Amino acid sequence: MTDTDADSNSDDVGEDTSDKIEVLFFKSDTCAFCPRAEEVLRETLEEFGADMFKVIVYNVSEDPEKAEEYGIFALPAIIIGGMSVTGIPEPEIIMKMILGSKLGTRS
Amino acid sequence: MSQYQIDRVKTGIPGLDELIEGGFPRGDTILIAGKAGTGKSILATQFLYRGAVDYNEPGVLVTLEEPPRLIKRNMMRFGMDLDKLEREGMLSIVDLSPARDTPLNISEYPSFDLSGLEAIIMHHIKKVNAQRVVIDTISILAYKFKARDILREELFKLCAHITSTGCTLLLTSEIPAQDTGLGVFDIEAFLASGVIVLYNEKISDTSRSRSIEVLKLRGSKHSSRIHSMRITDEGIRVWPGEISPGT
Repeated sequence: MTDTDADSNSDDVGEDTSDKIEVLFFKSDTCAFCPRAEEVLRETLEEFGADMFKVIVYNVSEDPEKAEEYGIFALPAIIIGGMSVTGIPEPEIIMKMILGSKLGTRS
Repeated sequence: MSQYQIDRVKTGIPGLDELIEGGFPRGDTILIAGKAGTGKSILATQFLYRGAVDYNEPGVLVTLEEPPRLIKRNMMRFGMDLDKLEREGMLSIVDLSPARDTPLNISEYPSFDLSGLEAIIMHHIKKVNAQRVVIDTISILAYKFKARDILREELFKLCAHITSTGCTLLLTSEIPAQDTGLGVFDIEAFLASGVIVLYNEKISDTSRSRSIEVLKLRGSKHSSRIHSMRITDEGIRVWPGEISPGT
């Protein structure tokens, strides 16, 4: 799993991530549900095959423009393949989003 | 009674200040409720425009419904150039309208807060050093999220956070047709320390009459009548001495 933490501005580590599925996770400093949501997300991605994903974490307390850009009002929020989910998700919905995004990119 | 004077914010609506002891109490949350087409958005945007132009108070307009280009076009009809205010750093418009191309929300779990919306608004407040904020309209949130109890609590927190910066906050709320309440949440009136209701009632087969009522305004002696209101070439105007013919 390529992990890009937007908080620390660390960009990709030189590896080619173009074929990876992009997963955006939005959190804030005050969001009580965010740590659990991130755990569920990471566990689910691990099960799926962690090297398939490029995870980008946005902390909107530090980067409010990203919340505005994606129209994210409520946190935690996860975006995969043009779909978003709000709150602490069940693993099944994350899997559905991953499958949906794979179908969407197949040409 | 004490001689203590509450600091007030001029509304920028000719005639309205006279009904409410000179303006909205600074730092309060005021709800502008009304059915579709009653002039809520015009009143709220005029509050920001006149605040910036006449009183040198920068503002933030958070639009959850209408795209900015339509708001700007509509306000130009009243000679209110919002583009110019944006360029001068006196206004920041936050476009959170559904017309934008944003991810499709496919599921919502009842474990969320509105800290995303809060971060966005606070960022814009800081950017222009705003003293006035408008959220138009909070009713959209009720359609966007299913968990009403969470939304209510989060709206309270959001309003408290915004006004803690010293900003005076106007929320608009659309009263659904045939409804007798003040909006879709049933709590709009509790949310705000002031409630203003706009009407556009049919008074005969061929005419309607616009009017305005100050339902409550904490810390203020206000008119208990329903007053005539018109949308003129210069925006909304209230006639304090004129009682609406529809009442």
